[in-house]
Amino acid sequence: MNYDTIVIGAGIAGMLAAIGRAEAGERVLSLSKGHGTTHWATGCLDLFDIGNADPLAGIESLIVHHPDHPYALAGIDAVESGAERLRAACEAGGYPLVGSLRRNLQMPTAVGTLRTTCLVPVTMAAGDARQLPRQGDGRGPLLIAGFHELRDFFPPMVAANLRTLGFAAEAAYLQMPPHDRTLDFSTVSLARLFDQPAFRADVGRQLRQLVQHGTYSRIGMPAVLGLANATQVVSHIQSAAGALIFEIPTLPVSVPGIRLYCALEAALLRAGGRIQVGSFVQRAEGKGRRLEAIYSEAAAREQRHYAARYVLATGGIAGGGVRADHAGALVETAFGLPLRTPNARTDWFAVRFLSRSGHPVFRTGVAADAGLRPLDAMGHVVYENVAVAGSALAGCDPIREGALEGVAAATGWKAGRL
Amino acid sequence: MNHIEISLTQSLDHCIKCNVCTSACPVAAVTDKFPGPKYVGPQAQRFRHAGQPVPDDSVDYCSGCRVCNEVCPTGVKIVELNARARAQIVAERGMPLRNRIIARAGVVGRLSSGPHAPLVNFGLSLTPLRWGIEQVMQIHHDAPLPPASSYTFRSWFKKHQPVAGVRKQVVYYHGCSTQYYEPRVGQAAVAVLERNGYEVIIPKQGCCGLPLLSNGDFPAAKGRHMYNVEHLLPYVRRGIPVVGTSTSCTLTLKEEAPELLDLHSQDVRAVAAGTYDIFEFLRNLYEAGELDTNFLPIQREFPYHPPCQLRAHRVGLPVLDVLGLVPGLHLNESHAECCGIAGTYGMKKEKYQIGMDVGAKLFTFVKAADSDLALCDSETCRWQISHGTGIATKHPIEILAQAYGL
Repeated sequence: MNYDTIVIGAGIAGMLAAIGRAEAGERVLSLSKGHGTTHWATGCLDLFDIGNADPLAGIESLIVHHPDHPYALAGIDAVESGAERLRAACEAGGYPLVGSLRRNLQMPTAVGTLRTTCLVPVTMAAGDARQLPRQGDGRGPLLIAGFHELRDFFPPMVAANLRTLGFAAEAAYLQMPPHDRTLDFSTVSLARLFDQPAFRADVGRQLRQLVQHGTYSRIGMPAVLGLANATQVVSHIQSAAGALIFEIPTLPVSVPGIRLYCALEAALLRAGGRIQVGSFVQRAEGKGRRLEAIYSEAAAREQRHYAARYVLATGGIAGGGVRADHAGALVETAFGLPLRTPNARTDWFAVRFLSRSGHPVFRTGVAADAGLRPLDAMGHVVYENVAVAGSALAGCDPIREGALEGVAAATGWKAGRL
Repeated sequence: MNHIEISLTQSLDHCIKCNVCTSACPVAAVTDKFPGPKYVGPQAQRFRHAGQPVPDDSVDYCSGCRVCNEVCPTGVKIVELNARARAQIVAERGMPLRNRIIARAGVVGRLSSGPHAPLVNFGLSLTPLRWGIEQVMQIHHDAPLPPASSYTFRSWFKKHQPVAGVRKQVVYYHGCSTQYYEPRVGQAAVAVLERNGYEVIIPKQGCCGLPLLSNGDFPAAKGRHMYNVEHLLPYVRRGIPVVGTSTSCTLTLKEEAPELLDLHSQDVRAVAAGTYDIFEFLRNLYEAGELDTNFLPIQREFPYHPPCQLRAHRVGLPVLDVLGLVPGLHLNESHAECCGIAGTYGMKKEKYQIGMDVGAKLFTFVKAADSDLALCDSETCRWQISHGTGIATKHPIEILAQAYGL
C-alpha cells in the first residue's frame, strides 16, 4: 500500500516522527522489529547531563560548538517542542511527566546512587534528591520498601548506599499480599497485581504501619506500581500510607518504559497511524537520490513497502540499528546507509572499560544534514526522501551524554514536522 | 545444518534476557502454569540436549500464539524453540489420546460433516454428552466446537459453474474448516477470485498439519506437509499462486511446517513462496492495479480482530487495506494480543479457562463495539470470539463478496 511516510523503529524517536506526520494528515505506517528500547530504559527523559547547570542552556552552547551533534541538527526549538509533544502524549494518558527543561533532577536508582535526568513521570516525582530527607535535618526519614519476591531490587542495599550520600534512609521488605500467583515475579506481573485495588490496599496498610513506627516522610518503591493506572495507584498507596511515595526505575523490563510506549502508541493510533510490530526492515531500493521501496522480513518472502518518504529511527548499536558484521565492519541494518564510524576496529574501544570519555564505537551512526537527510563520506545527501532520527544519528553517544530520550524526542519530532 | 536451522537454534544466543517477551505473553499474564517465553524458550533450551530428559514440562502450556516472536527486539525464534521442545516430549513419552484426535482436524471433520451433520451437531449440543466427552476425552464441555456442515465445500464446488472466458488461474487451499464446517467461506473466496478474473482450481489437498505441529506430532505433520507439497507443486511450478482463507493454514504452508520440520528442499520452498493469505493476495492485486474496486457501499462499522496467526505472517493488516477500499465500511482493529483458543489449545480441559482469560480483553472489545457481527481471518478464533461474546463472526472475505454484490 502506498503510504505518505513509513517510519522504521518504534522507540521514542520513531513514534514521535510517526505521530507528527499522522497528525499532519499523512498516511503513516510504523514498522518495527519488536518493541522499542522504551521497554529497556527508565521511562524518564534524559536531556543533557550537565550537573547542576541549566541543561537547555547547555544544549544551546553544545549546538554552537558541535554543529554536527544531533541536537544541533534538530535545533533548540525541536528540543523544546519534542519534549513538549512527549509530555502531551503522556498527559493524555493520565500519566504526566513533570520537571523543567531548565533544571535537571537527581533521582535515586535501584542501586542507591543518584542519576541525572530531566523529566520524570509523576509517579517518581517525590524521589527528587533535593527534597529527600538528609541525616540530621530533623525530617522523617526515607523508607525504601520492596519485596523479597522481586529480583534485582534490594531495599537494604539501596538504603545503605543512599546513607553514604548523606540521606536519612532505611529499608523494609513488605509481605506479599494474598494473590493468585505462585511463581516468581517479574516487574510486569507485579505491576499487574498493583492494578488490583485489594492488592494495593494491602500494601498501603503495611506501609501505614511502617510509617507509624518509623515516622517516615517519603517511601521509595520499585517502579512496579501499576501498569494501566499508575498515577491513580500511587495516589491510593500514598493516601493509605500517609507518606509521599515515589517509584525507582528497575532493571528491564521497565514498567515506566512500557507506560511511555503505550502513551505514544495511543497517540499514534488516535492520529490514524498504522503500527506493524515484528517486521524487521532488512533492505531498501533506491533510484538516484530517492529511496523507492523498502523490504521487511516476512514468512516465506519479504514484504515490500512504498512511501513518499521514510524516517529511519532504528537506534544505534544498543538499539540494533547498527551492527557489526562478521568481517568486523559496522553496518546500518535497514537501508545499508553509510556510517560515520571509527576508522579501524582497533579504534572502537577506549583502553579502560569504564572510561569516562566512553567508547568511540558508540558514537557510530548516520551523518545527516540540517534536514536530517543521510550524508555519505563526501557530505552528499544519499536519499532526499529519508530523515534519520534518534540514536541512529552519528555525532553523539546519547547514553554517555545523558541525552538518550532528549535526542530521540528532538530529532524524532523534527522528522515528524519537516 | 542449513542456514535456517542455524538461525533457529542459534537465535537463542541473541536473547539478552530483557523479558520483553514475557511481559507481552498473553498466557503468562493469566496463569502461573506457564512461566513465560523467556524461561521456557531461550533459557530452558540451554538444558535441552539430544538423548537427555526434557527439563521442563511447562512448555506444553505455550499456546503457540507467536506474540513473543512479534515483540522480541533481538529476533529470537522463541515459539519455534517451544514447539520443538514439545515435540521432543511427545517423541519421548507419546501423545495422549485426546491430542491424537483433536490434532486430526481433517479426520474429525470428515466424520462429522455431511447429511448426518445435524445429528452430530445436536449430539454435541447436549450438555450430558459434552460432560461425557470431557470425562473420556479431556475436551472441555464448554469449548467452542464448530457445528459441522451438512455439505462439504468440495461437493459444492463440484456442482459450481465457473465463470467462462477467464485467462488467469489461482489455486484455492480451503483447509479443513472450510471443507467441513464453513463452506460459505470458500464459496465467498471463489466468488471474489472469479470476480477478479480468475479460474479457481481446487486440487487434491490435505490438512496443513498445524494441529499436529502444535500438539507435537512432528512425524505425522511431516507426512501431511509433503502430501500438500506434492499436490500443490505442479501448479506453483507453472506460476499459479496458492491462496487460502485460513490464515493459520497458509502460515503453516509458508513457514511453520518447513521451519519446525526442517524441510527445505526446492519443492518445499517453491510451495512456501507461492502461497498467500487471501487478503495478502488481493492486496498484491490492488497494488498491481488489478483488483476490481467496483464495490457497493456498505454503511457499517465492524470490530475486526487480526489473529495472532495472521500477524505471524508479518505482512501487516491486508484486510484493513483491502476492505478499507469499500465505501462506507469501517473496521475497528482490536489490538488484543490473542483470542486464547490458539487452534486446539483452548479446547483442552486443562487449558480452557486459560484460553478464556487470554481472550477476555478481546471479548470486552467486541462486546463494547455494539455490533451484531465481528470479523476475523482465522476459524478457531471466530468460534472462540462467538463463544466468548455471543456475537456472530464472519471471515472478512464474506464481507468483500458482499461488497461485490455476490
